[in-house]
Amino acid sequence: MQIKFWGARGSIATPLTNTELTAKIQAAVKRSINVELSTDKKVSEFVKNLPVHIRQTVGGETACIEIRTDRCLLILDAGTGIRRLGMDLLDRFAGQPIDAHILMTHTHWDHISGIPFFVPGMNPDNHFTFYSPFDDLKERLKLQQRYEYFPAPLPATYKFVRLKEQKTLKIGDLSIQTLPLNHPSGSYSYRIDSNDTSVVYATDSEYQNLSVESMKPFIDFFQNAELLIFDAQYTMLENIEKENWGHSNVFTGIDMALKAGVKKLAFIHHEPAYDDEKLWDILQKAREYLKINKPESKLELDLAVEGLTITL
Amino acid sequence: MKITEQITDNITIINLDGRLDAHTCESVEAFFREKMENGQYKFVMNMENVEFIDSAGLRVVLVVARDLRNKHKGDLHFALLQPAVSRVFEISGLNNVLYIYNNSENAVQGFSS
Ligand SMILES: [Zn+2]
Ligand SMILES: [Zn+2]
Repeated sequence: MQIKFWGARGSIATPLTNTELTAKIQAAVKRSINVELSTDKKVSEFVKNLPVHIRQTVGGETACIEIRTDRCLLILDAGTGIRRLGMDLLDRFAGQPIDAHILMTHTHWDHISGIPFFVPGMNPDNHFTFYSPFDDLKERLKLQQRYEYFPAPLPATYKFVRLKEQKTLKIGDLSIQTLPLNHPSGSYSYRIDSNDTSVVYATDSEYQNLSVESMKPFIDFFQNAELLIFDAQYTMLENIEKENWGHSNVFTGIDMALKAGVKKLAFIHHEPAYDDEKLWDILQKAREYLKINKPESKLELDLAVEGLTITL
Repeated sequence: MKITEQITDNITIINLDGRLDAHTCESVEAFFREKMENGQYKFVMNMENVEFIDSAGLRVVLVVARDLRNKHKGDLHFALLQPAVSRVFEISGLNNVLYIYNNSENAVQGFSS
């Protein structure tokens, strides 16, 4: 199973600014003073060793994750990141029909606004099926493409399947389950199991009562997942200030992952107000928290970064 | 989690003994809610015997401190944080919004300064 992040930003697309880009270049140049960089190899070695927040960006596209197995192509959410995924699919399939299954967590803008720009959807030879527990997903997506908002309507070839909670959906070699999360107007988590691995996508969720009893349904759903992709938009303090805004933080994510026996934890839905330095600092702090509270743990922590591929 | 209390000058000193986590957060919050209903709004939390705090513990002290401040003009001060707990307070940013003292006397004093 291959998981690729095409968009990891929360709330609204957040392109890198020129000020941020200049700051990255300045920081890199500063570090290069007195470094011998006479060959391309030495330059790429130097770049590779720069702090990650200087040489990379978490990216500005909103939620879109691709999951590929030998037999299936799955897409989680259709934020702005799905536009580039669409271009990549056209390249990869090179004229062969594309058949993909799109699981939607909910219909906040940051999870749907890429759909009108998903070019493979405009070719009726391709097959796209949207899944969610909402009974009116099609109407919601049609609304987004009303003529006042976008010149072309939602492609009529898109299929829609309503999922039932506590029922397992089979797609190819994958079993898919869903669980409601705590988020304004609702959001759903997805658990995807193949024969040998499992991934849980739990974005746009707030956890207010953290007692063992209240957390049990979530811990059960996350149980032994190889990878948990978890909404960590806020800091601990913001989670209290922005009560009922429907997001979580890295510390809650770590504690839940530990209880559920998760192997890898990837934080997603990055706050638009935070730059790369801040986001990687949050990851650093998350790692220190884990080390203090559970030094023997082998749980791996990472940021979901645009372009990152995880193979399970 | 063992909780004991003593009241001096209208300030309640609470001594916690145990882990402040998902197993104990509800009883700690309930303890505070009961005190608030009885009109106690100024607290010192003696953390000398708390060796472990997780996100559930962090959340409960933040929520209690917020409600004491916003609804009752009270507060929750902290004393004698163990090194691990102290570092978790720093990492999670709690030390920026909560008053932390090196002993209970200073934490009590903190209410009059
Ligand atoms: Zn969102
Ligand atoms: Zn949302």
